[in-house]
Amino acid sequence: MTHDPPPALRVQGLTLRYGSVRALDELYFDVAPGEVVALVGPSGCGKTSLLRCLTWLQQPTGGLIEIAGAPLGQERLPSGAIRRQSRRHIDRLRHRIGLVFQSLNLWPHLTARENVELPQRVVLGRSRTDARVRADAILDRLRVLELAEKVPGQLSGGQKQRVAIARALAMDPALMLFDEPTSSLDAELIQEVLSVLRGLAESGTTMLVVTHEIGFARHVAHRLLFMDQGRIVADGPPAQVIDHDPHPRVREFFDTVLAFRA
Amino acid sequence: MTLDPWVVLDNWPLFLEGAWLTVRIAAAAFVGGLILGTVIAALHSTPVALVRWLVVVYLAVMRGVPFIIILFLVHFGLPFLGLRVPALATGVIALTLFASAYYAEVIRATALALPRGQWESARAIGMSPWEAARYVIGPQILAPAIPPITNYTMTMIKESSVLSAITVGELTYQGLIVQGNTFAPFEVFFAVAGIYWIITAGFARAARLLENRQRGAVPEGITGQGIAARYLSLEAARR
Ligand SMILES: Nc1ncnc2c1ncn2[C@@H]1O[C@H](COP(=O)(O)OP(=O)(O)O)[C@@H](O)[C@H]1O
Ligand SMILES: [Mg+2]
Repeated sequence: MTHDPPPALRVQGLTLRYGSVRALDELYFDVAPGEVVALVGPSGCGKTSLLRCLTWLQQPTGGLIEIAGAPLGQERLPSGAIRRQSRRHIDRLRHRIGLVFQSLNLWPHLTARENVELPQRVVLGRSRTDARVRADAILDRLRVLELAEKVPGQLSGGQKQRVAIARALAMDPALMLFDEPTSSLDAELIQEVLSVLRGLAESGTTMLVVTHEIGFARHVAHRLLFMDQGRIVADGPPAQVIDHDPHPRVREFFDTVLAFRA
Repeated sequence: MTLDPWVVLDNWPLFLEGAWLTVRIAAAAFVGGLILGTVIAALHSTPVALVRWLVVVYLAVMRGVPFIIILFLVHFGLPFLGLRVPALATGVIALTLFASAYYAEVIRATALALPRGQWESARAIGMSPWEAARYVIGPQILAPAIPPITNYTMTMIKESSVLSAITVGELTYQGLIVQGNTFAPFEVFFAVAGIYWIITAGFARAARLLENRQRGAVPEGITGQGIAARYLSLEAARR
């Protein structure tokens, strides 16, 4: 008998409050292995907060997170009680999620290759040789291998973006998170980065991508989550949500975006 | 008034002995202070509130109290706790504590001046706080920390003269002895002042060489940044 693999990500009742602001309001959703999910919503709706909670950079006020079946941060004991995991335990699970920050946050004192090698060696304990082989393979796949010896300060926006993606991918995460990967790029680079994401999607990488690129959401993502005021108000096939979802906030958002496009 | 160079020349072994001891005391307090200061800076951001509170109190005391009082506390306090240590040792301990507080503040300030995302990207990818500090933050604060560390070290070297008050035979103490024998305060203390200047200037020179090397090693955009760099740089301070 075979079991279905656990979802790459399972979120149950995830809540985050800043004082009286409900940045995340009881979110429930799964992401299946290999699925590409676009996360869309107006500014301030809680997209970044969600990614920060999923990597435990921000401790949620409540709720459970599971990465490929392993609870992260808090877990439900057989008795039903919720227990907070130790910091050490959380640190050891974090590499299962690859986060590409909006600001990338490459380490400027290291070359592109070293950026990709360092966490493999420190966190996964890979040997220098293994980390290097893996780093070069991924840099090559993202077509930035010839820049391996350069430091981030010498790279263009699109090149930095690729190195940041490589750094996260080299950890073999169960899930990749992207926070507005194209927001700081000019039009030409946007297409370049989107094609990188498309390549990852086609090779089966599980991804949750915060984006305003409707084209990407429509043509690359398998599913679209629409957030508003800390809640998921629409969840479905991208074309369906973009063109037909009846929720007023969703209509308002896409009608504005699509009208602007036309 | 004429200065008699023989006052100094006749007593050169005492000046040399004092200067050499001052250098060794300062070197010990420098190394010890950096190690202790790094530990204190790290403890400043532990999640344990009690430890944080103790660190804040420690820093407030070390920076808010005259060094001579810290010195007396250590020197006259340790025997009360049943620890008999020579004056030289209590002097070095006090000076180390004193320097560590300033070093800790510098390390903490330069680390906080880095973009928050540097720390977060290291943590999010799975590094422990220690690993993030060791591999990502530490290497980036080395260059910008050198100028303020140098300034505080020069102050600390001069402050080591206070150890003469508990009979440690460093430079100022030897100066006092020569002055007692010769009754030639100008000759003696001009010489003492000159030797202090040589020691501190030599240290600053070494630090500047190291800073230039580090600056070359660190890519554009970290240390080369506008006002912060100008404020922190020794080179700029000289202009
Ligand atoms: N550190 C914080 N303290 C207080 N409120 C915050 C903080 N970070 C975000 N918020 C609030 O939480 C909400 C969600 O923010 P965010 O997740 O950044 O939205 P998005 O990424 O979708 O633009 C906003 O109302 C924002 O003002
Ligand atoms: Mg955001």
